Amino acid sequence: MDTIVAVATPPGRSAIGVIRLSGPLALGIMRALVSDQNFTPEPNRSYVKKIRRGSGDDLDQVLVNYFQQPHSFTGEDMVEISCHGSPLILRHVLDLTLSRDARLAGPGEFTLRACQNGKLNLSQAEAIRDLINAQTDAAAAQAARQLNGELSRALQPAKEVLIEVIAKLESALEFVEDDLPTLELEEINKQLAEVLANIRYLVGTYSVGHLLRDGLRVVIVGRPNVGKSSLFNGLLRSERAIVTEIAGTTRDSITESISIKGVPIILTDTAGIRRAGDKIEAIGVERAHQAMADADLLVVVIDGSVGLLADDVSVLFQAKERTHVVAINKSDLRRAPGLDDQVAGLSRVVRTSAVTAEGLKDLSAAILAPFGEVDSVNEGLLITDSRHHDLLRRTQLELEASISALDERASEEIVLVGLLNGLRYLGEITGETTPDDILSKIFSTFCIGK
Amino acid sequence: MVFDEEFDVVVIGGGHAGCEAASAAGRLGARTALVTLNLDLIGQMSCNPAIGGIAKGHLVREIDALGGIMGRVADRTGIQFRLLNRSRGPAVQSPRAQTDRARYRTEMRRTLEDTDNLELRQGMVSDLVVHHGKVSGVLLQDGRRIAARAVVVATGTFLNGLIHTGQHTYTAGRAGEPASIELAASLKRLGFPVGRLKTGTPPRLDGRTINWGAFQVQEGDERPVPFSFSTETIEQPQMRCYVGYTTSSVHNAIRQNLGESPLYSGQIKGVGPRYCPSIEDKVVKFADKDRHQLFLEPEGHDTNEVYLNGFSTSLPAPLQQDLVRMVPGLEQATIIRPGYAIEYDFVDPRELGADLQCRRVAGLFHAGQINGTTGYEEAACQGLIAGINAAALVTGRKAIRLGREESYIGVLVDDLVTHGVDEPYRIFTSRAEYRLSLRHDNADERLTGYGRGLGLVSDTGWERFLGRQGRIIKAKNILKSNRLRRSDPSYVAAASMTSTALGDSISLSDLARRPGISMDMIYQLLPQHLGLSQSDVESALADNLYAGYISAQASAIGRLQRNDQLRIPGNINYRDLDGLSSEMIERLERARPVTIGEAKALSGLTPAAVNTLYIASVQS
Repeated sequence: MDTIVAVATPPGRSAIGVIRLSGPLALGIMRALVSDQNFTPEPNRSYVKKIRRGSGDDLDQVLVNYFQQPHSFTGEDMVEISCHGSPLILRHVLDLTLSRDARLAGPGEFTLRACQNGKLNLSQAEAIRDLINAQTDAAAAQAARQLNGELSRALQPAKEVLIEVIAKLESALEFVEDDLPTLELEEINKQLAEVLANIRYLVGTYSVGHLLRDGLRVVIVGRPNVGKSSLFNGLLRSERAIVTEIAGTTRDSITESISIKGVPIILTDTAGIRRAGDKIEAIGVERAHQAMADADLLVVVIDGSVGLLADDVSVLFQAKERTHVVAINKSDLRRAPGLDDQVAGLSRVVRTSAVTAEGLKDLSAAILAPFGEVDSVNEGLLITDSRHHDLLRRTQLELEASISALDERASEEIVLVGLLNGLRYLGEITGETTPDDILSKIFSTFCIGK
Repeated sequence: MVFDEEFDVVVIGGGHAGCEAASAAGRLGARTALVTLNLDLIGQMSCNPAIGGIAKGHLVREIDALGGIMGRVADRTGIQFRLLNRSRGPAVQSPRAQTDRARYRTEMRRTLEDTDNLELRQGMVSDLVVHHGKVSGVLLQDGRRIAARAVVVATGTFLNGLIHTGQHTYTAGRAGEPASIELAASLKRLGFPVGRLKTGTPPRLDGRTINWGAFQVQEGDERPVPFSFSTETIEQPQMRCYVGYTTSSVHNAIRQNLGESPLYSGQIKGVGPRYCPSIEDKVVKFADKDRHQLFLEPEGHDTNEVYLNGFSTSLPAPLQQDLVRMVPGLEQATIIRPGYAIEYDFVDPRELGADLQCRRVAGLFHAGQINGTTGYEEAACQGLIAGINAAALVTGRKAIRLGREESYIGVLVDDLVTHGVDEPYRIFTSRAEYRLSLRHDNADERLTGYGRGLGLVSDTGWERFLGRQGRIIKAKNILKSNRLRRSDPSYVAAASMTSTALGDSISLSDLARRPGISMDMIYQLLPQHLGLSQSDVESALADNLYAGYISAQASAIGRLQRNDQLRIPGNINYRDLDGLSSEMIERLERARPVTIGEAKALSGLTPAAVNTLYIASVQS
């Protein structure tokens, strides 16, 4: 039995978000997340722990609970991690568990395990069966409508090339006594590179694709009086505002949802950042810093008519390591002398005027630019589903392993391990390929048989 | 009914399945009779005179590891041994041997005659005696009645066999032997779903009329790898094979005469194997190939007869003679037995459980070509399983079922009973998802424990097995602890074999994993006088070579099979389940899937219905 993981709370921002793990690796994965190999929690007790990113930085302070099998919902070893409810944090924690060999749970899979382990009685199981059916049907309807068919079709050419390569390698193994053409390793390498590029591209679209589901968090920052709020209002006016003011905004930090080219953007305007003058302003600045920490992208606003001040440099410095766009605002006014030299080293600079609306379209485009081919939102296929992303990423890793085995001139049966595994993962999206399908390919391609 | 004789187990058929079944049942203490049409043709190789090959060789090793007899008989009668795929990894290497057709028969009959509890009877079984869904004996054409508590049907191509050469057809089980017509009718009466398959065989030539110089010589291995773990060395003299090619003028002549071929005139209805095509098929389906490979295989030491492998045909016999003479080197060659195609009945193997017992008739087992397989090895391994389980049934022991993850036999049986067949089924390594773990050289490690538990492995065999396992462990330790250092005289030679850098020192087990490093090299680097054979070292290295890949393989497969292997209760009443539409109930009642995986494979079953079944199965 492998170890499954899922976010147990509804998607979106909330006070806390819970990640559940079930399976033999649950405790081990939790230990790795909290960087404490000796952590031996008492079952059913809560502990406060810190989770670190791969880089060693703190990610979040969390509450962990360990439920020892069989005394858990699924009857297996389970761990629940209560994080702060930022979708960003939850995604990071989820990614950390996946990198430690957990697998994203299918719909209702925790319940299925509970059934399997006799944790639920017949009437409970029947109730849950209905639930599972509803989820499956909903998932199927959704898949048919927007993704599954299309993704499956998009994967078909790659899958066919993969099967062709597998057929070549298999026939070299199985039919040594037959008069077969010698394997053209270069040709096989080329074919595999093509498949891999295809899969890699699709994996890459998830960075945009998941934005379609979760939305892109954009935070406007800068020192006071550079025109952040007018820019914020300008973006709201020029783009289609979907929802107005989100509850819980404070007087100094305001959030609205807009849509740029179909990508939901959660846009936040913050208080001007400078060394605080009074206590209330200090709270505003603190909030601005929090908003920055959660952002997928920062828009750093500079007053083009004034030029760079020390506070601007300080904000730019804080934004340096983050994905960001620099907006040189107030382009309707005379440009400060020497500004061009000052911003020459910055990347992704856009000139804007909230007054004349000049450059707002450019700013919108610049906001999406770091997240890949956003035009494909309307034209091409995007991976939006984390399960599909997981499967394609696994396929990619398997293919990479096979290609390096091929480069090392490993024997065919070893090269085939990754190719067949890759085909299995693809099969979870496109439908299974049986050994008979591969044999059929061989017999239609080569003249086999004494 | 009054019977003339009484046995525990009756095996019908003395081919490769029947021989293994009878031998196993007898040795397991069941009083057993083998009934065959002709005692002189026990163990007959109806087609090519060879045993083994890729994946088939694995089967023979597995049969041997379980305590079967095919490997030992082949070792004593083989005339050219070759380990195939030597240049590839150990998991896909497989032994193959040309065998002396007549001596194989003699040796097989001698082996059966020396078996306790086993008696041979010549005769044709015409009917099965079945009472209340349970088999109780067989009737012979000559009026004899034999009681049996279990019956293994291993009738090969004999059920309603129909031979074709050109327009001429006649009923026969093999050329020169009568077909089994009444038994075929008896199986149909019992309600078994019966289908039709086809196979073919090439002409045999008079060796004195062949211009041998026109062919390429193919030698066997210098150091033959035997099939049986009990065989130390191959003693008998070895022979050569020869390789040649057809030409485009042969192909043209075949194309011009396709109308004469029963395959293309629509006369043959049965489905033939795609991996064993007739020369007519090769020429039509691969028209752009200007030559096809032919093998001249000697039939044995005591005959001039030569088997023309690669030239399977059902064209008219006179035309076969003309075509053969168009092949370079065969200008003067004379056909002494023409090739032919044969159609025969098979019974849908989905009628069987994994123990090869029919669900329809208790005590009745099917093994070999009757289940839609092709090949001596495929037949033999089914015979062994059926024989073991027939004996288990009558002696009150537990049936043996082998898993896909532990044996090719398990893969084959599972494929048959789960998916059925739509062409003659042959084993391939690609059918085994755990291919890297199922090596020919570790068949003993995988299966000898079962054989011993059953009582098919003797004390000597068991001690030999334990000794070998001990030596492999020893070899593993030595390979790990011995290092090759830059200062060693062999370092340069080893470094020149591989493109990767070896560093200042490297353990022998790590060195063996480097591409280009041969097993021979590793064996030479080992300290001498350790009592380790090269095969011990090779097995130790193979485990080491695949270790990382085997776990990668298992995790990908595990995802898929997690739920699929869950068994649906045999006594399930679909009508008791909430939420199944009457259409779903009808489909399920027709198919009665055994596992969730089988249910998922059923056409027309909705995901919701599968979920319902899943929950019900989990609950039980």
